[in-house]
Amino acid sequence: MSNTKSLLTIKDLHASVEEKQIIKGLDLDIKPGEVHAIMGPNGAGKSTLGYVLSGRDGYSVDSGSVTLDGEDLLDMETEDRARAGLFLAFQYPVEIPGVSNLEFLKASVDAQRQARGEDAITSADFLKEAKAACKQVNLPVAFLKRGVNEGFSGGEKKRNELMQMLLLKPKLCILDETDSGLDIDALQIVAEGVNSQRSADRSFIVVTHYQRLLDYIKPDFVHVLSDGKIVKSGDASLALELEAQGYAWLQKEPVEDELEG
Amino acid sequence: MTEQIDKALAREYEAGFVSDVESETFEPGLDESVIRRISEMKGEPEWMLEWRLSAFREWLEMEEPEWALVDYPKIDFQSISYYSAPKSMKDKPKSLDEVDPELLRTYEKLGIPLIEQQMLAGIAVDAVFDSVSVVTTFREKLEEAGVIFCPISEALHKYPDLVKKYIGSVVPKKDNYYAALNCAVFTDGSFVYIPKGTRCPMELSTYFRINEQNTGQFERTLIIADEGSHVSYLEGCTAPQRDENQLHAAVVELVAMDNAEIKYSTVQNWYPGDENGKGGIYNFVTKRGICHTNAKISWTQVETGSSVTWKYPSCILKGDNSVGEFYSVALTRGRQQADTGTKMIHIGKNTKSTIISKGISAGRSNNSYRGLVRMNPGAEGARNFTQCDSLLIGDQCGAHTFPYVESRNPSAIIEHEATTSKVSDEQMFLCRQRGLDPEKAVSMIVNGFCKEVFKELPMEFAVEAGKLLEISLEGSVG
Amino acid sequence: MSEWLESAIARAQGINDWLAPKRAHALELLANTKWPTRKTEAWRYTPLRPVERTQAKVITDKVELLPVAIADLSAIELVFVNGQFDQTQLAKTLPEGVSISLGGDLDTAQQAEALHAFSTIKPERHIFGLVNDALAQDVVVVTVAEGVEITQPIRISSLLSQGAESHTRVQVTLAAGSRLTVIEDVQAQGDSFNTAFVEYKVAANASLEHYRFALQTGSNVSIGGSHFNLHDHAKMHSTLVGFGSELSRLDTDIIHAGEFADAKLNAMYLLDGKELFDLHATVEHAMPNGKTEENVRCIVADRSRAIFNGRIHIHRDAQKTLAELNNRNLLLSDKAEINTKPELEIYADDVKCAHGATVAQIDKQALYYLQTRGVSRSKAQVMLNFGFINELIDLMPNAALAEWIRPIIRERFAQMEVK
Ligand SMILES: Nc1ncnc2c1ncn2[C@@H]1O[C@H](COP(=O)(O)OP(=O)(O)O)[C@@H](O)[C@H]1O
Ligand SMILES: [Mg+2]
Repeated sequence: MSNTKSLLTIKDLHASVEEKQIIKGLDLDIKPGEVHAIMGPNGAGKSTLGYVLSGRDGYSVDSGSVTLDGEDLLDMETEDRARAGLFLAFQYPVEIPGVSNLEFLKASVDAQRQARGEDAITSADFLKEAKAACKQVNLPVAFLKRGVNEGFSGGEKKRNELMQMLLLKPKLCILDETDSGLDIDALQIVAEGVNSQRSADRSFIVVTHYQRLLDYIKPDFVHVLSDGKIVKSGDASLALELEAQGYAWLQKEPVEDELEG
Repeated sequence: MTEQIDKALAREYEAGFVSDVESETFEPGLDESVIRRISEMKGEPEWMLEWRLSAFREWLEMEEPEWALVDYPKIDFQSISYYSAPKSMKDKPKSLDEVDPELLRTYEKLGIPLIEQQMLAGIAVDAVFDSVSVVTTFREKLEEAGVIFCPISEALHKYPDLVKKYIGSVVPKKDNYYAALNCAVFTDGSFVYIPKGTRCPMELSTYFRINEQNTGQFERTLIIADEGSHVSYLEGCTAPQRDENQLHAAVVELVAMDNAEIKYSTVQNWYPGDENGKGGIYNFVTKRGICHTNAKISWTQVETGSSVTWKYPSCILKGDNSVGEFYSVALTRGRQQADTGTKMIHIGKNTKSTIISKGISAGRSNNSYRGLVRMNPGAEGARNFTQCDSLLIGDQCGAHTFPYVESRNPSAIIEHEATTSKVSDEQMFLCRQRGLDPEKAVSMIVNGFCKEVFKELPMEFAVEAGKLLEISLEGSVG
Repeated sequence: MSEWLESAIARAQGINDWLAPKRAHALELLANTKWPTRKTEAWRYTPLRPVERTQAKVITDKVELLPVAIADLSAIELVFVNGQFDQTQLAKTLPEGVSISLGGDLDTAQQAEALHAFSTIKPERHIFGLVNDALAQDVVVVTVAEGVEITQPIRISSLLSQGAESHTRVQVTLAAGSRLTVIEDVQAQGDSFNTAFVEYKVAANASLEHYRFALQTGSNVSIGGSHFNLHDHAKMHSTLVGFGSELSRLDTDIIHAGEFADAKLNAMYLLDGKELFDLHATVEHAMPNGKTEENVRCIVADRSRAIFNGRIHIHRDAQKTLAELNNRNLLLSDKAEINTKPELEIYADDVKCAHGATVAQIDKQALYYLQTRGVSRSKAQVMLNFGFINELIDLMPNAALAEWIRPIIRERFAQMEVK
């Protein structure tokens, strides 16, 4: 264990949705600059973890604690968590008709800068940055004018999420299956986007089903989430093991009834 | 979450102040002598008085319409004063210097400076205060282009033939109850004439202000765009915050001659009453335009005020290839009630109409779209497209759609669609996850919902409309 | 008030039977009802002149009339002849769990129950519904017992001879978990006048398959309604085919009185000559989680007139409602007329509601395409018209009925004037 202060510390987290317990005692510690991959079967609670961390309505924490940069994360409103540097790239990004991407991004960046006491960015500078971000994720600049995710294809939505990450420069990025539904070229673009943002003061939680993303984004740690708990942790080689053997060998008992899961 | 949204939409009514001006106001009451007095005050020609009186007699025989989905206590027309004007306006100030500074201050407070140097370049304003026009700016500049823009009371003296020819030609005297009443008692309003082939060099606008208590406002606007001309006209309105309801029954007539184009935009922000429905303006307005060959009339409205709105800006597409458009955002909250929409009457061949209506209901309000699309037998090849979307915010409000679709021509095509939705939890979560506070998130989502309409507004108005919905358009890509 | 209504009221005052309280109530309401004019919203496009002028008379003499035969359909026949229930045409033995009785033959408790249902299912705003309340001749009550599935459809036929007037009334109750198919049909000879109302109570988990054929044409006045009350998890699937007559008016009311009810209404009307057909379909979502889907298609030719009013009303408590209405119209002639008004009235926010209405003419390109393949213009027109309607016929669950109506509709298109 190094002595660096943790960025994110989750201790014995229990959380539920609509009275149903989904996260059942989860511990995780992330230091600045680390990349953690979370893998696990469908319904394990991976997306739920992202929602709980970002404070989505309806997701309630039953017990446990989460700190971000030493601050109690669970005590904050959703937008304050975002302003504190937490970013979630959604597995299924929602459409907001009529609200242009650029307008939305500028408002987000403004809100976050203001919360951090930074000066507002000028529209011209912002536009320049946004265009560069588009280029980096290989989205035509015209997408800035389109409604947020409005009529985007699945892959475009994912890249749009990544573009937002590039502009918001968060401390902790949670990417929820940002690779699913992407062809190999798009996958590389996503990986390059993430790699370009890797730095000593930025950490990632990469939720994925596939080892192939981890060929491009080398994780420092790999965790297996199953039935609301981390059942195994290891280094990058764990992902290869999972690829070869699936998840079944990790589960003491078989996953609960599929219908429930 | 609804609470947050409500909070986001709640706003102070900033225009709710009362101006301290001494006014000459008629005693409440309505009979022929009141009409004679109005006509006399305005020094009107005899025919105008006769016209008013005949409208009044017809009105007496008519019944108040009850078909709209609005509910308000019966209006006592005898308890309303039908004329009120600042005393200082009595000797008709010749220039701005002679106008009571308090009046100028009123408009300045409303964001409408009437001193030309301070004004937004490119907009001429007719400022109507209760029953009179206070001042009309940029008249010289407009006159150079041959454009007439003046109070209708003045037009009756200077251009009686034009007024006589067109007044009541689009909205007949007994068109409906409130229109008939307006014909009888209208006090002032704007008159516009754009000569043949002229593109009006600036935006024209009228700003209506009700100030006096217990008075009704009955203004009348007449816009004539002669062949091949073009004009963009804006209209704004506010009133003080009072506990009593006040009646506003206006008539607007537009005439677009062959190849002419009129763009008419309204930002209606009459006092809406308080959260419990106390006070507010009854806004019963008849607006209609007639399009001759190849002409185009485009109505854009942002309706956020009034306790009751009853308003259907319409187009009679008489000439072949003429075009009618209606873009509307209606936001109701508190106990507001809006019943608004349009009529598109297709008479000529290949006429086209587009209707985009966005209704947002919050609080305990009710918001209805009511529209008529009629294809007459001669409307060969005519087309209509209608899209009505409603957004409900909270479970105590109502959103309604009543479209009448009538076709009597087999080659005409009509398409009508209506949807309802709400601000979804997912959208709110996405916005907040990106760091936006809930208020900002709502206004952005609501703004997005209205986008198609806002983009039809002239720039300056788009900004004002955005502010009205507590929405900043800042950062939107041009 | 019209003379016709006055005389109707006068006639009703003479009737004294088990329905007396209902009749009296209706008469009271009628006394305060204005005779509809163009200014009456519900009758805006449908003038009542044909009613005012009707010479039709109640015929009490026994007349022999039989409903048209439908191949491959073996139905339980419930026949009214000139408004009188023809007991002889009803099968002697009915399937287990079904009862069909004349209201007058029920015991007092059953009558009370029937009276109660009469006061709750059909809304009181229908003026001719009130007329029917007051003047109903024979009233038949049908019940299906709990959990019983009746495979044999019940066909309710109202048959009228030349110049006859009739007022029929049927009440159908599907007890919890039962299943039933009902076919409503009016077959009228010329110059007749009828009001025909059927009310359905579909209890929890019950399922109703429903058809209404309004195929009488010519100089008939035919006014009626089908009214449905749906309870928890009830299902209904209704198909309406209308041809129009001098005046044909139908009111359909679907009330979601329970949660998770599911209603489908497919209506098609095909009008020719000087026919008029007016459908007012109202859906009341009074409870949460309901679902409604309506498809209404019209083709109007010659000098005919189609009127459609499709109202969906979502009450304050009816959260999570899904309601959709789709109305498409083809106008074939410049003397014909379509008036349509899809309405939404919504008081709950977490709902998905939409309606769409289009009016157009036959796809010219498709017509041209068929012609280039050697199909005559008139034939091509029939094919395209038919295609437009056929999609809805395909959705009819009962194959025998679909196969029966298909050629009838095809024939009708063949006769429609081609321009
Ligand atoms: N809104 C909800 N209501 C009830 N159960 C939910 C809800 N959201 C998620 N769940 C359940 O929580 C479990 C975990 O879901 P999720 O976090 O999406 O899994 P993963 O992302 O690992 O596939 C699943 O069993 C899912 O059905
Ligand atoms: Mg997931």
